Amino acid sequence: MGTTQVKYDFEVVKWFSVMAVVYLVVGTLIGVYIASELAWPFLNFDIPQISFGRLRPLHTNAVIFAFGGCTLMATAFYSVQRTGSTSLWSNKMAWLTFWGWNLVIVSAVITLPLGLTQSKEYAELEWPIDILIAAVWLMFSFNFMMTVAKRKTSHIYVSNWFFMGMMVMITYLHVVNSLAIPVSLFKSYSVFSGVQDAMIQWWWGHNAVGFYLTAGFLGIMYYFVPKQTGRPIFSYRLSVLHFWTLMFGYVWLGAHHLQYTALPDWTGSLGAAVSLAMIIPSWGGAMNGMMTLSGAWDKLRTDYILRFMVVSLAFYAMSTFEGPVMAVKTVNALSHYTDWTIGHVHSGALGWVVMISAGAIYHMVTRLWNTEMFSAKLVNLHFWMATVGAVIYVTAMWVSGIMQGLMWRDYDEFGTLSYTFAESVAAMHPYYVMRAVGGLIFFSGAVVMLFNVLMTIRSTSPASSMRAIPVTP
Amino acid sequence: MINAADYFHTEWAAMSLHDWIGTIITVTVFILMIGAYVVVLDPKRKNELEAQRHIPLDEGRLEKGEK
Repeated sequence: MGTTQVKYDFEVVKWFSVMAVVYLVVGTLIGVYIASELAWPFLNFDIPQISFGRLRPLHTNAVIFAFGGCTLMATAFYSVQRTGSTSLWSNKMAWLTFWGWNLVIVSAVITLPLGLTQSKEYAELEWPIDILIAAVWLMFSFNFMMTVAKRKTSHIYVSNWFFMGMMVMITYLHVVNSLAIPVSLFKSYSVFSGVQDAMIQWWWGHNAVGFYLTAGFLGIMYYFVPKQTGRPIFSYRLSVLHFWTLMFGYVWLGAHHLQYTALPDWTGSLGAAVSLAMIIPSWGGAMNGMMTLSGAWDKLRTDYILRFMVVSLAFYAMSTFEGPVMAVKTVNALSHYTDWTIGHVHSGALGWVVMISAGAIYHMVTRLWNTEMFSAKLVNLHFWMATVGAVIYVTAMWVSGIMQGLMWRDYDEFGTLSYTFAESVAAMHPYYVMRAVGGLIFFSGAVVMLFNVLMTIRSTSPASSMRAIPVTP
Repeated sequence: MINAADYFHTEWAAMSLHDWIGTIITVTVFILMIGAYVVVLDPKRKNELEAQRHIPLDEGRLEKGEK
């Protein structure tokens, strides 16, 4: 009877995990600052580089691509090795991915405040950085898929399907949406124009949500929720249906961002119809995750990491109901261009994406460094700060958004608008303050997480870190 | 009163290349989705598929080379 050692490449996973938490702190800090700029405009200080218009894309790039990207790469590289009982296909390529992705982030930090932008939402970076993103993303995807190919198990676990679906679709979306004609090193013009440009923009924009922020993080959910609960996923068949329905369905939704525009009317209607249909698989997936806790709900009393995961699923269910409702034309007529959209996005981003990520990162930190968290109380404190902060933020935006929509469409008996635009802006002030407070609480929670993670790592000896799993047959 | 035949009437001759590409993709995706539902919900496959849900919890067994 001997001991089999399965060597895993976890060093790069550790670095991605730590950088994810660092970028969460940085991204939410910028978010709090720009939220404060909207509440107290003097904070712009007439300095173009820190004005809302330039810092806002830096915030979205920091949280989506820096934090979200590092989380996805950490969890994907971790779980594909564990579920396939194999090391990475190329550890060197994984390190190249790590440094390449961080180079993208540094490039964003330099260029966006300088005003160098393609002006495409969630795809602001200029063409040389777009090419770098494509190259790094392809390295990540190729390495992941080759690791799947060299797995020692016969079946490809469903979390890996979600990761691969994300990789294929994001490659396709990023390349097509970023097609541009460069006129100088940092200036280019999209090959699309007019209504086609709008259509391509939101085909990318919504699918970045669908395949990057949803499918990728569902891959995280399907691996880490069973691991943390110690129970298998409630229904594997439901997870397979969830995957294929998401893949087939999500690509149709983008046009619901362009209701009542120059886009043909039927495209918006199609986007809304498929959006409503997507409630079924989304709720199926959320239920699948939650029902995994059947018989183990008591764990929520003591397992603070599991709390993050369960609350993330609740936010996932809520966001995937709210989104389709907002896609319906009658609701969209009220909600579009208002803060309601910002509230919706953040219930998904703070509630779903960050919560499931925090749960997965805490889980990985305890496994990768083979230790308990430095302070379980701080994990609990982070959980409550994140939950309360997200709820305050989202509630403020719901109220201000609906108020905005109602003020903009209100007419008097002579058929003229009851309120000027400036009056609607003034009415938003209390809610913008409330949003900044909610964001500040959420950001403070992220700082607590970073402190806890760093102290956990500091308190472990290098020898105790998990480099191999000893298996005694 | 909407006549169903009129509602679904299509001038096939007026269909452009893009219309045909879109139609073919839409119908193909619809059929593939139906196929996915049939395959996944086939009672004969239930045990085969549900057996895979233990993979994350069976890493120790898998690491020993069992499949």
